[in-house]
Amino acid sequence: MLIHWTLGLAASLPFLSALVLGVRVLSGGSRPSERFAFSVVEGGLSLSLLATTAVALQFGGVLGPAVGGEVSFGNWLQLGSYFIPAVALVDTAAVALALLGAVLTLLVARFSRTYLHKDPGFHRFFVLLALFASGVQFVAFAGALDVMFAGWELIGISSAMFIGFFHERDEPVRSSLRTFATYRLCDAGFLMAMVAVHELLGTTRLAELPRVAGLPSWEVELIAGLLLLAAMGKSAMLPFSGWLPRAMEGPTPSSALFYGGISIHMGLFLLLRVSPLLAAAPATEVVGVIVGLGTALYASAVARTHTDAKGALAHATLAQVGLILAEICLGFTTLATVHLTCHALLRVFQFLRAPNTIHDAHRIGHGAIAHAAATEAPTTGVLWRYGVSLHRLRVEELLDRLVVPVLALARRLDRLDRGLRRAFDRGAR
Amino acid sequence: MPLHVDAVPTAILLLAMVPLWLPVLLTRRRVPVDPAAAVRAQTRRATLILALLLGLVTLSPNGAFSYLTLGFALFWQALGTRVMGRGIASTLIGSALAAAVAAGALALQWPVLAFAASTVAIALRVGVFPLHSGIVALAERSPATLTQVFGATLVLVLEHLRFTDHIPFAYDVAPWLVRFGALVTLLPGLMALVQPDLRGYLRTATAMHGGMILAALGAAGRGHEAAALMVMLTTTFALGGLGLSIASLEARVGPVSLVARGGRVQAFPRLAAAFALFAAAGVAMPGTAGFIADDLMLHALWGESVGSTVMIILGAAALAIASLRAYAAAFLGPAVSSLAPDLNRRERTVTTALVVILVILGFIPGVLLTPADLFLNASDAP
Repeated sequence: MLIHWTLGLAASLPFLSALVLGVRVLSGGSRPSERFAFSVVEGGLSLSLLATTAVALQFGGVLGPAVGGEVSFGNWLQLGSYFIPAVALVDTAAVALALLGAVLTLLVARFSRTYLHKDPGFHRFFVLLALFASGVQFVAFAGALDVMFAGWELIGISSAMFIGFFHERDEPVRSSLRTFATYRLCDAGFLMAMVAVHELLGTTRLAELPRVAGLPSWEVELIAGLLLLAAMGKSAMLPFSGWLPRAMEGPTPSSALFYGGISIHMGLFLLLRVSPLLAAAPATEVVGVIVGLGTALYASAVARTHTDAKGALAHATLAQVGLILAEICLGFTTLATVHLTCHALLRVFQFLRAPNTIHDAHRIGHGAIAHAAATEAPTTGVLWRYGVSLHRLRVEELLDRLVVPVLALARRLDRLDRGLRRAFDRGAR
Repeated sequence: MPLHVDAVPTAILLLAMVPLWLPVLLTRRRVPVDPAAAVRAQTRRATLILALLLGLVTLSPNGAFSYLTLGFALFWQALGTRVMGRGIASTLIGSALAAAVAAGALALQWPVLAFAASTVAIALRVGVFPLHSGIVALAERSPATLTQVFGATLVLVLEHLRFTDHIPFAYDVAPWLVRFGALVTLLPGLMALVQPDLRGYLRTATAMHGGMILAALGAAGRGHEAAALMVMLTTTFALGGLGLSIASLEARVGPVSLVARGGRVQAFPRLAAAFALFAAAGVAMPGTAGFIADDLMLHALWGESVGSTVMIILGAAALAIASLRAYAAAFLGPAVSSLAPDLNRRERTVTTALVVILVILGFIPGVLLTPADLFLNASDAP
């Protein structure tokens, strides 16, 4: 019974704090103070961390007999034989991600209190942060794909809103739209896979996934491929990496939490969760390894040519994320879990220090760069590699070219529709 | 004619009353919400008569009587929209006539004709391609009236699920309805991406949801009635709320272009939040009824046609991107000041009511759907 309460509180308290703050801000009267906003969200996040710790202790057997595996809350919805299970899955990966998410979100919240002091978007920041924290707990403890998708979407929406945080400028808003578009298109893969798993296995519970071994191999490969697509979008794998440098338009604390710590690793966590399915889909595993290693190479090259600290750091993060993807697809799931956790902790620290890094570079970095430039005359090959990396392999331009015909078709359809409606109006007169 | 009170139809009737009365509540202010003042045509008395007729519809256990009363109610509603254009009125009158034909067909034991007429009546009222011209014109000219039309359509969909979709023909035609519905979901979804103004966005969003409803009605023919009901409920409240938000915004600032950034979020924070919530519910955000509706519908459609499921998922993704684009263009950007106030108390109450319904159905959908599923599956064939 305690496990039910602690799991429920871990996921719902941040959501409730976002709700309380959001309603208070919109309910009229004077704008609540920064202290109030911070206290509400900090309270929710702290209690959520406490609950997550309690779950971890129960899982470890510290608070009585060890609790693990599926924890059922009944059904979210049941209609005849169809049901959406409200089920949690408590295992090492879940506890690791939930603790990581809760700790990092709380730390970033404390950091942001000073960082965003007197910013007009202070309250909005903390509402979004609490929503994100809730989404992470949902994803971490989800025992069914439906529940995981709910958290997945919360993370996606809060991520897009954070990127467009400084919306007075045009670029953050455009970057936010681009990121959201990438997320939604790749999330289509998650949705299709979820529906397919339900139809083929009769349930979306993660604990039942090993049963896919009994399905025809092409069906398993297709589902695994769709989930890999969703993971590639969320974790900015090639060819969807274009949104990541744009995402640096958001506030530094959110960049740290999302693109250094948690959100960028969400795709990997999804693949860890469905690893039994991946293991039964060797072709998808090969694709995953190629994508992961390709992204690692690409991101390493781009990180070396990036001129801004956050952008370079984002690509350095991406290089490691690519490697973790390759590890998962090669079957080294324990190594991937450890790599993921350590990497997230390091990158959050580095992102939060990014403004200081810029300061340090101004003081001591320029001399070293000038010395290197004076002593090493670049060859044609080096210059070519530099140019290609600087333009990020022109991957974004390639994707844009794919979108252009779709938009042209949409415009043509719209013109046709307007013509039809004019004709209808004339006919009605 | 004996009347019978059932819990599910009564609940649906009560839910339908919310959008039905919203425009009336809003126009009691001296300054009408709709700049075209079209909602004046919908007086409180007219709405009361409409509400009573719809009440009679849901209380009747007889399909022919229900559809005939519906025909009267829909015709009555259509008459009130004459001032908005003949195209709009003729579409709604066409829908009323189709409902009357369904009544006659049910009385004469012609279930195939009843099913076809009922489907056409719904398709006309929810803006399914290519029958969408009247409804999308209504979305452009008077979003508040569109909300009211959706309220009555909710009752029509309930009657369709009760009386006309339990026949072999509905079962046979289901894959075709699903495929066609999916196609007319994807196309408006794509068109939403290139709309130059907020009303164009609402127009395409309406047409897209119309396609989803048609596909869900197709799946209902094979036993997925609850999915169809949930999709209609979500459309009613999410699109209804979206229409009211757009009407409220345009009453304050005039037509809203999506080409440049509006920067209105500081001047109208509550309006921005309402728009964002309704748009999010319309594209299946977790925590709202839209998420459950999408989940149910996709599972229902997969069995009929995998390609159609993919088309609907892609159409919904396109609308989600278009929704964020619309929000960004209307509300984000360099702050502009405005002398007009944010949502007033009356508008806040209305918005809150819609949001609460969407959230309750999102978190605890079983409250309505479990009994509705039992009720609709137990309904006898005509």
